Amino acid sequence: MSSYWWSLLPDLTRREIRNRLINSSSGWLWLIVTPLMLLAVYGFVFGVIFRARVPEGLEVPFVAWLAVALWPWLAFSESLLKGSQSILQHSALISKVAMPRELLVLSSQSAVFVLHLIGYAVVLVAIQLLGGDLTWYGLPYVLLVMATLYIFALGLGLMLSALQVFVRDLEQILPTLIMFWFFMTPILYAPQLLPEGMARWLRYNPMAWWMEEIRAGLFLGKWLPDLTFLIILAGALLTLWLGARLFRRLSPNFEDFL
Amino acid sequence: MSDTLLRLEGVAKTYPHTVKSGQRMRAFWQILTTGRYTGGTSIVRDINFEIRPGQSMGIIGANGAGKSTLLKVITGVLAPSGGRITRQGTTAALLELGAGFDPEYTGLENLHMNAAFLGLSRQRIAEKLDDILAFADIGKSIHDPVKHYSSGMVVRLGFAVVASVRPDLLITDEVLAVGDESFQKKCIRWIENYLEQGGTLLMVSHNMYQVQKLCQQALWLEGGRARAQGDVFDVTQSYLAWHERRSAEDASRSQGHASASLYGVDALRIENSGAGEPQIAMGDDLNVSFRLRSPDGRCPVILMGIIRADGTPVYGVANDHDEVVLTSLSDGKYRGGISFPALSLLPGGYVVRGHAMDPEGLRVHDTAEVSFTVTGRSRELGLVRLEHRWRQG
Repeated sequence: MSSYWWSLLPDLTRREIRNRLINSSSGWLWLIVTPLMLLAVYGFVFGVIFRARVPEGLEVPFVAWLAVALWPWLAFSESLLKGSQSILQHSALISKVAMPRELLVLSSQSAVFVLHLIGYAVVLVAIQLLGGDLTWYGLPYVLLVMATLYIFALGLGLMLSALQVFVRDLEQILPTLIMFWFFMTPILYAPQLLPEGMARWLRYNPMAWWMEEIRAGLFLGKWLPDLTFLIILAGALLTLWLGARLFRRLSPNFEDFL
Repeated sequence: MSDTLLRLEGVAKTYPHTVKSGQRMRAFWQILTTGRYTGGTSIVRDINFEIRPGQSMGIIGANGAGKSTLLKVITGVLAPSGGRITRQGTTAALLELGAGFDPEYTGLENLHMNAAFLGLSRQRIAEKLDDILAFADIGKSIHDPVKHYSSGMVVRLGFAVVASVRPDLLITDEVLAVGDESFQKKCIRWIENYLEQGGTLLMVSHNMYQVQKLCQQALWLEGGRARAQGDVFDVTQSYLAWHERRSAEDASRSQGHASASLYGVDALRIENSGAGEPQIAMGDDLNVSFRLRSPDGRCPVILMGIIRADGTPVYGVANDHDEVVLTSLSDGKYRGGISFPALSLLPGGYVVRGHAMDPEGLRVHDTAEVSFTVTGRSRELGLVRLEHRWRQG
């Protein structure tokens, strides 16, 4: 992709964002309200009914502990869904204009990340104001981790969007798979709560790594990138490379199958 | 500048079978492992041509001949299944309706995006915005979503954006036919001006007059292959002749034919013609020779006629009108010929018909025909060139 096309990515992303915002009468509000309602539901069901607890040694309310991981997860999962649909969604454009199709996937995923990062910022400030004790000096590290999460999501999004053109069933299965992944990841519960036999498997779930690092940054004040960070960075880059390869392989034939 | 803008070498395009999910999966697996799929429906095959700056080309052909697919391959929207395409310079394409607009967005947003896809930077778009809007001339609708546009409005906007880009090579696919009269004229004027200033056009059109007017070369596609290519007048004329003939065949099939019985035409041919369909340049001589048979030793009368390929009679004459006697061969065969010197037929497709009649010249017993094409460069209208003289005042 030439540098000219890269320069269109911000424009396309901006257009995606605007499109999300103008489709509902008070778009900005819903960006915050929907995740907040989700947080309220999970907080009530798991925090109040099931009495889920934060890991021992942490002095934070369960809702704050949940919120810190929930927004990154929403950014990740929603960007996968949007990204995977982006090629089919823009089929009118693809069949008329010769352009690098990656742009469509990347821009729709970037739009989701931008919107959820804004929501995340609002939520973090709210937690702090309500007395949650966030370790702010870990924030730069959390941003780095979020960047690797973004790269990881782009790689998966490229794969899924290309596959979706050929395997239409993916559209039906993907939301369920993502929900399954959500519950398999320690977002609503602390990893320490898992039975001994299952905890061993947790390291094969990449999202468990990311959630762990994000919470470590905001609650434990982890600020120095260590080996763990290098591993998730390498994993993210590898995923992006694989996704880009698969996408490049399949994309010349998209129009035949749309 | 003498290098080529566009070169196609053996370009082919095959669509995979995608109806059944099994076929989809097989094609998918092949692409994944080898980068291409086998099988499928062949749409275009073995297309070779090159376009040099200023050498505009028209692509013509019947519906389903593969014109639009070829354009999509050329613009890069579709990947060719075979062959090689080399492009140089800037290219802008206006493919079919829609022109790459997203129906959910407003005209203005689509305009920005479309111009950006064509390589126009943000500042340049801002500079040219008024020009583009003036050219499109769709008023306040520019702020409405494109899905509420009429097809004409979409084309107006699409063309206006392309016009503002002024590419080295402009590719259009039968889009002008959608706009109304005044917009079509505006577009043609723009294209003429663009061509005068050194622009190059690659267009698909069913309007031969437009093709002849705007292009120097033409490519006639039939069933995905190049049936003829070269000089625009030669190609468009044989294409039109083919069409006239086809509609005439449809008409004659419904009428049925009297069977050859007693008197018959054994052979009818146009002299000095090599293999393939005879071609005669306008103003050359048309020489026809024939052989007749007779069961009873009496010489039949032959009626010769020239008919335009669509069935319109041009001229007919029988040998007994002119009191010409044919040469008798052995066993009841007769031989003869007829010449039309300095043929004044206008370029197009024609048919020579020989009717064998009984010796009294009362009934037609058998008919044979040969089609031929009159070639030449002429924009005169009608069937034949009449002697004429203009007076000034």
